[in-house]
Amino acid sequence: MEVNEQISAQRQLLKTRPHNRMKVKPLTKSAFVTRITLFSLAVLTIYAFFTFDYKDIDFVDAVLLTIANLKAMFFEPHLKHFTFSHAFYQVFVTLGLAFLTTLFGAVIAVFLGLFAAENLSSKWISTMIKGFVAFIRAVPTVLWVLIFAVAAGLGSVAAVIGMTFHSVSYLIKAYSESFEELDKGVIEALQASGASFWQIVFQAVIPSSITYMISWTFLRFEINFAVAVAMGAAAGAGGIGFDMFMASGFYLDIREIGAITYFILAVAILLEVFATKVKRKLKVNA
Amino acid sequence: MTALLQVNNLTKQFGHDAKALSDVGFSVQEGEFVSIIGPSGAGKSTLLRCINRMVDATSGEIMFDGVNVLNLKKKELKKVRTKIGMIFQHYNLVNRLTVIENTLHGKLGCKSTLSGVLGLYNREEKEQAMHILGLLGLDDFIYKRADQLSGGQKQRVGISRALIQNPRMLLCDEPIASLDPNSAKVIMDYLKNISVNMGITVLVNLHQVDVALKYSDKIIGINGGQVVFIGAPKHMTRADIQRIYGSEAEDLIFDAGGIHAG
Ligand SMILES: Nc1ncnc2c1ncn2[C@@H]1O[C@H](COP(=O)(O)OP(=O)(O)O)[C@@H](O)[C@H]1O
Ligand SMILES: [Mg+2]
Repeated sequence: MEVNEQISAQRQLLKTRPHNRMKVKPLTKSAFVTRITLFSLAVLTIYAFFTFDYKDIDFVDAVLLTIANLKAMFFEPHLKHFTFSHAFYQVFVTLGLAFLTTLFGAVIAVFLGLFAAENLSSKWISTMIKGFVAFIRAVPTVLWVLIFAVAAGLGSVAAVIGMTFHSVSYLIKAYSESFEELDKGVIEALQASGASFWQIVFQAVIPSSITYMISWTFLRFEINFAVAVAMGAAAGAGGIGFDMFMASGFYLDIREIGAITYFILAVAILLEVFATKVKRKLKVNA
Repeated sequence: MTALLQVNNLTKQFGHDAKALSDVGFSVQEGEFVSIIGPSGAGKSTLLRCINRMVDATSGEIMFDGVNVLNLKKKELKKVRTKIGMIFQHYNLVNRLTVIENTLHGKLGCKSTLSGVLGLYNREEKEQAMHILGLLGLDDFIYKRADQLSGGQKQRVGISRALIQNPRMLLCDEPIASLDPNSAKVIMDYLKNISVNMGITVLVNLHQVDVALKYSDKIIGINGGQVVFIGAPKHMTRADIQRIYGSEAEDLIFDAGGIHAG
């Protein structure tokens, strides 16, 4: 009986709704600006497609050719200018570049991260480091490599320095935030018993944040692997990226590009699987 | 009996705020069990933290074992801190580490920086840790992680960490404020035991008048940063409680009434 009453009451509500439609989102100024922006972008996009200079390219043909190219790339991959073992070796070179820059970045970031964590350092120093590091992070890794290339010349040295630089800033943020998770009281408790700063860091701060630190470092390693591939091509840093650059820009062999892409994909998947395994293991122990 | 701790004219002012402590003075004998009571914001925590210089006093004198703590340089201060154990309301353990690892942290202060950093403890230290954990009834939890323990067990680990320092004195900042009545009683009994049987001086901040009356040799009552009562529990009257707690007093007298009808 009661239920029925409720339902009929709801019906009543539903009936009255169409007359004065209830708005879930109020039309504020920001919502209005967002809508206007989206609308103009849509108009511009459509307009652009009509006014492109297509030369003599027929749109349908172009799409079909692209599909044919992709098919050749991914369904008929082969290695012609490189051997399989060479490609395998080059993948390791790229992995090495990623590993080295992550390692350098991690070691430097642990120390600077301690001073960037508010509970371990002073507010002033922490804010300074965090601000500086935010600036470094705002510039993409590739640009840092090119900036360092001015001094070191385009090549592996610039790639290592530039990638390390960006990794440091990324990991400082990640590490210092993990360090800040540790309650200030724990640090005080150890200070009160006469423990020194470095003892507290290694006995309390790092054991408390080690799982976060490992997962962030892994994430950065994966990023650095992708960047290292790009650096091989863009900055001549060697590795599989450079082979890819040669295959596309020099030999114009799209089938070889396909083969190399598969190589990189395989490594990326292996890394991902490994990282997931490690993280799961850490979670169990956490 | 000699005074282990003598506080004279202690004043603490945070920035330009009102004084958190003004002209505080008292003395504590070796092995004595002293409670500091007062409403929240009275300055109890500030007082304890001035004693081991977790907070720097504005002026005054704190003589601990014959030296003025306020004049100590960093290195000497560390040495004094190893002689004073501290216990906290929120236990302040490293959650991800085991009970014995947390206990051994109390030893860091008297180790070299390097062996402390690497966590190298010798056999003797480990045996002492086991022994103390045994005394506190934690034999079965030695390798458990701190975050798997109940509040009362965590506080016992906190006490173990302080005891392994071989301290002359324990400073306890509201050690039972987060515990249920049963665990609170267990913890207070342990603290009393430590003071009676080990001869360690215990200075404890408390919220509960009844607990202070039951366990203490001496009670120090503070209100608004000033000492308004010092004396044995049996000398504490209704009027004293009124003076310590001000308007909150009515409820407290009702609570405490069963134990001591001042
Ligand atoms: N770090 C601090 N900075 C500024 N004021 C503080 C600080 N710590 C304590 N106080 C002030 O000092 C007074 C006493 O605080 P506290 O010692 O914590 O009292 P209790 O422990 O008795 O509750 C309070 O008014 C508090 O606001
Ligand atoms: Mg307090």
